[in-house]
Amino acid sequence: MPLLETIGVKVRFGGNIALDDVSISVEAGSVTGLIGPNGAGKTTLFNTITGLQPLTGGKIIFNDKDVTKEPPHKRTRMGLARTFQRLELFTTLSVRDNVRVAGEIRNHWSLRTTKMDVNAETDRIISLVGLSDVADREVGEIPTGKARVVELARALMIQPTLVLLDEPASGQTEEETGQFGQLLRDLAGEGLGICLVEHDMSLVMQVCETIHVLDFGRMIASGSAESVRNNPTVVDAYLGAPESVG
Amino acid sequence: MQTFLQYTILGLALGGAYFIAASGLVVTYTTSGIFNFAQGAIAMLAVFTYWQFRWGWGWPAPLALLMVLGILAPLLGAVLYQVVMKNLRGTSEVTKIIVSIGVMLGLQALATWVWSPTSSTPRQFQKFFGPNAFAHFGSLRVPWHIIISFIIAIAIAVGIRFLFVRTRSGVAMRAVVDDPELLQLNGGRPERLAMISWAGGSFLAALAGILIQPMIGSAMSAGALTLLVIDAFAAAMFGRLRSLPRTFMGALIIALTTTYVVAYFPSKWTWSSSFRNSLPMIFLFIILLVLPQDRLRGATVLRLRERFRMPSIRTAWIAGLTMMIVVFCLKVIMAKTGVNTLTLALTFAIIALSLVLLTGFAGEINLAALSFGAIAVMVVYHFGISGTGTEARTTLWGILLAAVVTALVGALIALPALRLRGLYLALATMAFGVFISRMVLTERTEREIFGLKFTLFTSGQLAIPRPKIGPIDFNGQDAFLFLCAGLFVAIGIGMVYLRHSGYGRRLTAMKDSPAASATLGMSVVRLKLSIFMMSAAIAGIGGVMMAAQVGTVNSDRFDIFLSLALAMITVVGGIGYVSGALFAGIFLIAFIEALNLMLKKFAVDYSSLEAIFMFFISAVTVLPATIGITMGKNPSGAVSDIVEGMNKVKQSKPLMITVIGLEAAIWALTATEVITNWHFVILTFANLILVPIVGGKFLMARAMRGVPKPVPPELIGIDRPFTDEDLAAMDQALNLDGVVIPSSTTVREEPANASA
Repeated sequence: MPLLETIGVKVRFGGNIALDDVSISVEAGSVTGLIGPNGAGKTTLFNTITGLQPLTGGKIIFNDKDVTKEPPHKRTRMGLARTFQRLELFTTLSVRDNVRVAGEIRNHWSLRTTKMDVNAETDRIISLVGLSDVADREVGEIPTGKARVVELARALMIQPTLVLLDEPASGQTEEETGQFGQLLRDLAGEGLGICLVEHDMSLVMQVCETIHVLDFGRMIASGSAESVRNNPTVVDAYLGAPESVG
Repeated sequence: MQTFLQYTILGLALGGAYFIAASGLVVTYTTSGIFNFAQGAIAMLAVFTYWQFRWGWGWPAPLALLMVLGILAPLLGAVLYQVVMKNLRGTSEVTKIIVSIGVMLGLQALATWVWSPTSSTPRQFQKFFGPNAFAHFGSLRVPWHIIISFIIAIAIAVGIRFLFVRTRSGVAMRAVVDDPELLQLNGGRPERLAMISWAGGSFLAALAGILIQPMIGSAMSAGALTLLVIDAFAAAMFGRLRSLPRTFMGALIIALTTTYVVAYFPSKWTWSSSFRNSLPMIFLFIILLVLPQDRLRGATVLRLRERFRMPSIRTAWIAGLTMMIVVFCLKVIMAKTGVNTLTLALTFAIIALSLVLLTGFAGEINLAALSFGAIAVMVVYHFGISGTGTEARTTLWGILLAAVVTALVGALIALPALRLRGLYLALATMAFGVFISRMVLTERTEREIFGLKFTLFTSGQLAIPRPKIGPIDFNGQDAFLFLCAGLFVAIGIGMVYLRHSGYGRRLTAMKDSPAASATLGMSVVRLKLSIFMMSAAIAGIGGVMMAAQVGTVNSDRFDIFLSLALAMITVVGGIGYVSGALFAGIFLIAFIEALNLMLKKFAVDYSSLEAIFMFFISAVTVLPATIGITMGKNPSGAVSDIVEGMNKVKQSKPLMITVIGLEAAIWALTATEVITNWHFVILTFANLILVPIVGGKFLMARAMRGVPKPVPPELIGIDRPFTDEDLAAMDQALNLDGVVIPSSTTVREEPANASA
């Protein structure tokens, strides 16, 4: 059973179809890529999975449960976390407090028996993702690449079973991206399910086992990294179909 | 049947007029993103101006109409946009709401200034074509005015629809809201379009006012006309601030229900007129209940211009202690009336604290803080007083019960609106405030519910004694002053503690990004509800203290306009700061009062200049609103400026010693009655505000002597050689921390985690 499944997801904004019959799945303990040109509907799909965007049709199954009608915070409490492409950090808090408050939110909804030691966990996560050097800075002052890592750290604080990462590597330096890829593989190795939206193809090819490709709200390919790389439809979608170039 | 038709026609016409006002709201909201709370005030001003032209000066109707609708109203709208609203881009929703409320209060104060409400002859406003011009349909007589109103409403509806769908400017206007920058790139001029829409919205408001006033039939009243806008709010909400056809329907439903209540409710029901007045508010609530859930908003795209720095707990304790000392010193030198005013100001400051908690910490807004105070006062009056006559005291349990009840009522009011954007909560609370003053505070007859005999607001006023807590009796004025000051300090320090706790961080998280908070598992609605209840309870306690200070309160003490002014001044003071609340209480009660007294004293002392001082006394009524309107320029509030000034003082020992020394001298002179209290006030102001500015400049100039002027970054390396700091700053800016550049003369350490 996959950890997450979307079945025939459809989203319409007025006359504009943002997602049309999209079905993807994400397995536990692996990194699944979700790629496609700008405006393909990747972020919209994340929004539907996390409950920020209501569906026009289709179903979302998480942990064997139909969560289509659940509000965002209930889905999170089942173990679903995400980061945002347009950073959604708590701009008036420091880096450490951004991470810490996520743990405090978690402790607030979790049962007494599963409460964590927020301070210890905050320190652990901050050093795990490599934010120790900026931990006490204002989150608005740090570079975008680092800010994206703060988003990841925050998501990890709630001890999720699945994380959706929306372009986490954009704004990162090459060196940072390398470390980041390693981190993702380590996390997946510990059993975490990861769904990665990313434009940095080398990172995607490096860490993803399965890749889904979206274009104009439709799934145009799906499969192993190797098969997607050689899929002519995918190449067309990214580079423009040869006939349209003329 | 005759009655039914008569009232249906009246209802349709009234609905038409509501629609015109509501459509103005929709137009300005969709093009500028600002919900115009001043819509009713504009209508009111137009009615008074029209009255002045038509009946005051006897102009013919067409000329007066042309002047008001054709020139003055659109001009007012355009000027409002250019001078005030344009500056609001990039500010929070709270600032936008507060500024338009400032305009509303300003226009209202202006109208009461020009057209004194205590004029000997009531101003009557007649129907168009005179009171006796009827059209006859069979046996039915319908005033021409009514027919005209309905026709105009339909014409406006069709006209606006045509404008938005078919014309280029209309389409562009809709584009302004969606993406002003994109529109600009495509050759549109968003600023101009928004200005035009404000002119149009103002025109529509004026038209609605002139049509509605004769239908109400009573003498003109600035307050009642301004609040008419609530009916328009409800109609606009029905269309979700977007759809004009649905707004039209909403307006008709509200107006028809209202007229049917008037027509069919038996006249022996004493509450039916209050009920009729409260209908729009009841509608608003039903609409809020059925509106679909808003999409959770992410952080605002722009970085908000408001910045609030939270003081440390240590600073809070020092500030609290300082405040108690200052209150004590003031008490020593002040006359009894002064102590009374100061106490009243502090009770208002406590109520304002509820706003700081809700708005400053959680980003939600409550426009009816005093109405929650009214509820608490009613609870205390009925359940919280022990003893009678001069022995009567408010009990601690009474105050606590009042706080609990207020919190529960708050929950009931806020719950439907919390799923939605902040604007909706603001509207819900405002409607609640109007409901409380119209329906609850007018309840003077005894009712019997389930055999329980009850009068909510006995004989129009409630006597609330001073509290007695345990063995301590706070009946004396001085004791009560210290109780209020202590309460303010305690709640204030408690709020700073709260802000530094996990709960406070969760509030900040929710305020910064509701979307991210929800995806971390936060139940946003529950958190909002808890903070709203807490805030309502504080407002309730403050309300009880206010009533205990005044002694006997009538419904005027809880007027919605006073609530609005308090909210506005708190935002002006600095909604993110506990001291912002103190500023609000002192400014609204003590400062305005003192200014008035001073001007009156001058008017008597210098009788030759009396006219000038009388003018200033009137001008003072407009002052708070004027300050509120300037919020767009400085959204973080006045307190942050004062804090900046104080920081200068704190950083320089000589300056600090000068200020404190001078202040002590001024106080000593006053205490020994060498100088009067007026001099004390003026000198204190000069000392606290002017000395830091002048002294700061002087010290700065001295410190700068011999220090090289800072070199702009593009000239570093040209005007002077690179230093290590320059290189470090550049690395930081380019995100090259830890990257070793071979040619660089400095050797940096690899970060410890680089190899991990």
